[in-house]
Amino acid sequence: MSGESIALIMSGLLLLGLFMGHPLAMVLGGTAVLGAIIAGKPMVLGIVINRIFGDVLDNYVLIAIPLFVLMARFLSDSGVTDRMFEALRHLMARVTGGLGLAVVFISILLAATTGIIGASITVMGMMALRPMLQYGYDKRLATGLIAASGCLGILIPPSIMLILMASYAPGLSVGQLFAGAMMPGVVLGVMYAIYVAVIAWLRPDWAPPVADEEQISRGAMWRMLIVEAVPPLVLILGILGSLLAGIATATEASAIGAVLALLIVITRGRFEWKTFYSALLETGRTSAMILFIVVGATAFTGVFNITGGLRASQDLIRGLADDPYTLVAVMLLVVFILGMFLDWTGIVLLSFPIFLPLVSEMGIEPLWFVVLMAVVLQTSFLSPPFGYALFYMRAIAPPEVSTTDIIRGVLPFIALIIVMCAMIILFPGLVTWLPTTLYGG
Amino acid sequence: ENWTMTSTWPSSLELIEIDKHWVELANSLIDDDKLTIEFYEGGSLVPAGEVFGAVESGTIQAGADWPGYWAGRDSAFSPLATTASLFNAVDYVNWIQEWGGADLYNEVYGKFGMVYLPYGVTNNESGFRTVDKPIKTIEDLNGLRLRLSGLEQGKLLEKLGGNQVSMAGGEIYQSLERGVIDGAEFSTPNVDFSGGFQQVTKYWSTPGWHQSSSVFGVMINKAAWDALDEETQSRLETAADATMLWSLAFTEKRATEAFAQFKEAGTEINRLDDAALEQIQKMANQTIEEVACENPLSAKVYASQIGYLQDYASWRDASAPFNLGRTPNGPDLAKIEGCAQ
Amino acid sequence: MNAGAENAPLTFGRVHNLPIIRLIDGINEVVGRIVSIVAIVFAGIIIYDVFMRYFMGEPTRWAFDVTKQLYGFYFIMLGGYALRHQAHVRVDLVTERLGRNARRWVEAAGYVIFFFPFAWVFARRSWDFAMTSYGQGEVTYGAVQLPVYPLKMAMFVAAVLLLIQGVSEFLKLVLNKADHLEPMEPLDVR
Ligand code: NA
Ligand code: NA
Repeated sequence: MSGESIALIMSGLLLLGLFMGHPLAMVLGGTAVLGAIIAGKPMVLGIVINRIFGDVLDNYVLIAIPLFVLMARFLSDSGVTDRMFEALRHLMARVTGGLGLAVVFISILLAATTGIIGASITVMGMMALRPMLQYGYDKRLATGLIAASGCLGILIPPSIMLILMASYAPGLSVGQLFAGAMMPGVVLGVMYAIYVAVIAWLRPDWAPPVADEEQISRGAMWRMLIVEAVPPLVLILGILGSLLAGIATATEASAIGAVLALLIVITRGRFEWKTFYSALLETGRTSAMILFIVVGATAFTGVFNITGGLRASQDLIRGLADDPYTLVAVMLLVVFILGMFLDWTGIVLLSFPIFLPLVSEMGIEPLWFVVLMAVVLQTSFLSPPFGYALFYMRAIAPPEVSTTDIIRGVLPFIALIIVMCAMIILFPGLVTWLPTTLYGG
Repeated sequence: ENWTMTSTWPSSLELIEIDKHWVELANSLIDDDKLTIEFYEGGSLVPAGEVFGAVESGTIQAGADWPGYWAGRDSAFSPLATTASLFNAVDYVNWIQEWGGADLYNEVYGKFGMVYLPYGVTNNESGFRTVDKPIKTIEDLNGLRLRLSGLEQGKLLEKLGGNQVSMAGGEIYQSLERGVIDGAEFSTPNVDFSGGFQQVTKYWSTPGWHQSSSVFGVMINKAAWDALDEETQSRLETAADATMLWSLAFTEKRATEAFAQFKEAGTEINRLDDAALEQIQKMANQTIEEVACENPLSAKVYASQIGYLQDYASWRDASAPFNLGRTPNGPDLAKIEGCAQ
Repeated sequence: MNAGAENAPLTFGRVHNLPIIRLIDGINEVVGRIVSIVAIVFAGIIIYDVFMRYFMGEPTRWAFDVTKQLYGFYFIMLGGYALRHQAHVRVDLVTERLGRNARRWVEAAGYVIFFFPFAWVFARRSWDFAMTSYGQGEVTYGAVQLPVYPLKMAMFVAAVLLLIQGVSEFLKLVLNKADHLEPMEPLDVR
């Protein structure tokens, strides 16, 4: 059977399974088995086990994933974020658009401490959405802003997405990717802030200042900020500092982060065995969920490759693009469209084996390309119909906010992400400057 | 027949050129209706550590490797891959082709249902590259955390006062950069240069006493091999012999070029003196005796290698200085032969 | 992923009256509750190793391999547990529009088409894989030699745990006892 037919059949099965609502991990694994049988090569199924063991179980880099998940859980149990937001909210409330800016700044700070987005969006949504709506913020602006800012957590390091990407991109380390994604992540956050400021200036009624009677004394406010913000800052410095200053690997940094977060919980007197244990159980489920997608995807990719589907797909993309810019544009578009339907794990694991060889063939800098992918994948959380951030907002938002409001709210931010991609293409230094400075050429 | 073959080397490592050379030669020597080998770069079908299992189980028919990776399955794979301060590349070629080495490859791989064609040989590896502490004497090794491959190699380094750190090739650069390790050996100078080690290490200590020469080749599932006619089998062997000769010259040329590139990049190169090497030789002999005596098959391989050295010594030494390499003052043959029983 | 996961940690989830479902769910629940603790163990070993290296100047020889093996054991054994709690991510854009019964049968078909072929191959082949390694007494390669086959055997056990949990979930769908068909909430942490 030709590579083209097997590529078509396996993609068809993948879509079928997804739309049947079956777990992605199992759809990928099942498609691998069916694909091998349909291609008349059931004996290649042995590589499925070789790959699951070698790529997923015996993989030092991926140890960081459960540990960063655990750290996020401990951090949200610690209540640090709630109080940090309270303090910043009081600090910035007087300004037009101030609440919105507070959301962005806290989100960037949170993003630098956590590698996953669920915690950020949920915490910010619960903390910020109610006051924003109460003080007359536009529903769309408020929900879109919280959803988009919350997603920065997976772009600004540490990030489990970047860890998985490093594990799948030969020659790139987690440290390089963390350094490479740092500036794009922060700049994107700043763009969100500028957007809020511009909206507040053009339409003050969409982002009004907060009434005086809500405000507390400046002294209390600063005390709150210092007492509440310092421990997480120490955490950030501990993790990123140790990682980038050359002391620890990402895996080691994740373990340090988890234990520091636990210490913050304990020192704040919030430790309870019950919540501690449920954090472990929840981390177990979340880690198994993410890593089983890797299991399914490595099975899928192995069979897809050995049956010729991979080469056929690469030929297809080659046919569409004959210069590096068109190639990158095509790939960005593919990822953007996949992002409407799939979550980032599946997209990374399916697209990287196809894209990365083509990228190196064209002489494109792999670090730059991978970070560009990480940026465009921000849209996968926000783009309807399938986007985690939309689901989180829907779950948190009061009934008077319609799903349509949320979707219309995130659209400007999707546009900003696309602008960010364009900026990275025009100014590659945004990605490469920091890693080159830290790690040399 | 149609074979699927992969390698332990990703396309970014120059070692894969040896595999590709053999595949291209074999495919051009053999009619398409007899056999076509489809080659996939390392990592694209199975991860490097799983190539052995994939060929053993017959999932794929052939896998290119460096035998030392499989020492966890049988320590006899180690001397098939390299020796600590014993063989040079010509010794491996002599031993494999005329002193019974080829049979031992097939005996060890045969235990796992595979046939082995050695088709690549590289001479002495670079040696250790260190970040900020030069290794000029054996004492300088004391307390250093060094990335190093191999069982005998690790034990030898521990005897010399250093600590072995095992890590995959892809992790070495960053670990040097961040001081997770003090230094590393990886491969020959050309392969090291392609890994960018000149950017993160100031010092280079030659020679590569831990790995005086290395062998590469292809594992072939026995059933797939037996399915071929004799003509095709012999053409695969011919391609292997031709590739082996080419690989030696190719790597030495590239290593020479890379040596100049390292100097140009400002790397300080120190050679351990002969007295130091003599002391390392003694420790290496001890290590080999210890390791060989834990596994009769490993002892059998070592006994054959040392037997070759002793046999060849008479003519090699007589033809000095026009001889090929040196006769090392190697491990105790009688003792190792005793362990091979 | 669903509301049940949020409340589940310290309850035993819904107890089903079919013995086979009860048994399977019980097994994976117990495995999940024990194995989840391993995350703290390997976090601790990593910290210990970092401490020994930077403060004592004496890195452990075993931490690297041991943490890697514990991590592999940890997540692979939790596959069945995650399935029991419907934690595996899926796209229910289409199925959520279907009626309860149609949805039930479509999901059951998903198990037949995708889950069982994969879980079966996973279990069957990892058995061979583990036995080969055991037969060879495979150890890690280098001066520190840790056995590799226990982890490969754990992979087989994990595949069986996943397979039987699939049987349980399939039966729940077919017998109309699945409680995850209620409206879903997004994942709690992601
Ligand atoms: Na982050
Ligand atoms: Na989306």
